[in-house]
Amino acid sequence: MPEKSILDELKEKGVSRRDFMKLCGAVAGAVGLTYMPALPTKGAAAKLGRSFKPAAIVAKALSTKSRLPVIWLEFQDCAGCTEALTRSQSPTLVDLVLNQITVEYHETLSAAAGFQAEGAKTAAMQKYAGKYILVIEGSISPKDGGVYCTIGGKSSLDLLKEAAAGAAAIVATGNCASYGGLPRANPNPTGAVSVMDVIKDKPIVNIPGCPAIPEVFTGTLAHFLVFGALPELDSQHRPLAFYGKTVHDRCLRRPFYEAGKFAGSFDDEGAREGWCLYKLGCKGPTTYNACASLKWSGGLSFPIQSGHPCLGCSEPGFWDGGGFYQGQSAPLDRPDLVLAGGALAAGAVIGAGVAASNHAQKKSAEHDEKKEK
Amino acid sequence: MNWTAILAFVRGPLFQVALLFFIAGMAYRLVRIIFLGWQVDKVPARGSKVGGAAKSFLKGILIWPFIPWVKNTFKRNPVVYLAGGLFHLGLLVILVFGTAHMLVWKSLLGIGWATLPLPIVDWMAAVTIMAMIILFINRLVNPVLKLISGPAEWLNLLFVFLPMVTGYIMTHHLWFPYEVLYSLHMISVDFLLIWIPLSRISHFMFYFFSKAIHGADFGKRAVEP
Repeated sequence: MPEKSILDELKEKGVSRRDFMKLCGAVAGAVGLTYMPALPTKGAAAKLGRSFKPAAIVAKALSTKSRLPVIWLEFQDCAGCTEALTRSQSPTLVDLVLNQITVEYHETLSAAAGFQAEGAKTAAMQKYAGKYILVIEGSISPKDGGVYCTIGGKSSLDLLKEAAAGAAAIVATGNCASYGGLPRANPNPTGAVSVMDVIKDKPIVNIPGCPAIPEVFTGTLAHFLVFGALPELDSQHRPLAFYGKTVHDRCLRRPFYEAGKFAGSFDDEGAREGWCLYKLGCKGPTTYNACASLKWSGGLSFPIQSGHPCLGCSEPGFWDGGGFYQGQSAPLDRPDLVLAGGALAAGAVIGAGVAASNHAQKKSAEHDEKKEK
Repeated sequence: MNWTAILAFVRGPLFQVALLFFIAGMAYRLVRIIFLGWQVDKVPARGSKVGGAAKSFLKGILIWPFIPWVKNTFKRNPVVYLAGGLFHLGLLVILVFGTAHMLVWKSLLGIGWATLPLPIVDWMAAVTIMAMIILFINRLVNPVLKLISGPAEWLNLLFVFLPMVTGYIMTHHLWFPYEVLYSLHMISVDFLLIWIPLSRISHFMFYFFSKAIHGADFGKRAVEP
């Protein structure tokens, strides 16, 4: 028996046509379909004409395709990405992901525990082999046989490899899964690595951020659902639709940057006037994310809008990227005073040595000259 | 290897190494010059040496830049005088009163200060780059300068030009992603830091010594420079 389409399932739950079309519009927006004609796209999206109705495409996909199974694994994480997703202000999208797309296995959201949960995971992996999306939250710890992160007696590395084998694609959500995140910060005691470091033979999407923006995550999954393929990615495997521009590029405080108006502290006139936070250590210019355009909490605000500089939480190694409140132009570390003094002394001593040797040579030459006379 | 990692390297370890080399190199150069020794001065002085040095500095900073036409150096070579002057003024404005550079000093020295608005610094940067191009052309066409220009002189121009151009493009967010230009800017700055002690760009320090010695000489002979 063929599986029911998403539309059929929604109908059974009493979703009206109007609500369905609303959902399709929301999904089309989340996928970033409106931008598509301008982008050179791959896969199904490339075949679309220039005048198309985004919501209609989504509607067609949802009414013909069956549910997309998702298996969600957590390793060295804080469950923050899950928390952000469940508290997202886009209920239709979250409903789509959590209920319609079908999260078959999720440790934090699962009612079952222990062997029951393990059993559910194994069953889902077998039932949907080669078809499911594997979502990874948290970094992997292969160091010392993986003892620093084990679930049910298995190491994070083994669990990832086992689940990745049957996955159609892998979505690494949050900075930890994408780049190693906080566990990887210097001195990286657990030898944390990202999903990309371990899995080489599967399509991987990174949704970096701390946490990942819920709409970006759901949008990426919705794209896979609608088109059956991953969205267009950049060199770091991030969806271009969301990570194509820096926070600085779309920042609402950008005009103040151009005008050279900066807040000098968190409580000066500049801060109250809403001026640029560059001097307070904003990492916006090098941070690729959709915070400034999508914003958080249903478009209410985002850190810079509420007066805090961007930490660059969606960039690789942001924990070790200099102080959060140190200007971005500043060098990463201040040289050790002892080291600087040592360099000064070394230069002076070598200089004095060379000077002394030259002096001695000159003296001996003068001496020889006198002798000859 | 992505640009973020490259940027972290050139802002971090490479900058540290370059800065330490710069400190050691300048200390070496200074000690070498001091130990060259002074001739014992047997001629009785007709005026104050210290006064002469002070006068020389004050005139050089407060008077001559505002009435350059009375100086022979200006009359004989106005292009070099003006372009060179604007170039040095621009460097001062950009490196000391540019917000991004002030933050570098702040992180190294622990103290910050008020800076000029970006548009002013930006125009100054454009002027500085233009001045540098004019000086380059002058060196290319002037027969005397051509004769005394070796590889080191051309490299001086290049190593100073690169940080300025990458910095300018970076502030305007042109053509390349910000972190790429930032990385290139830092690489060129790191090379410049290593290059300065090895080259005549070290005049940023020795200029003040030669100015003092000449001033003292004038003062001793009681002549007006």
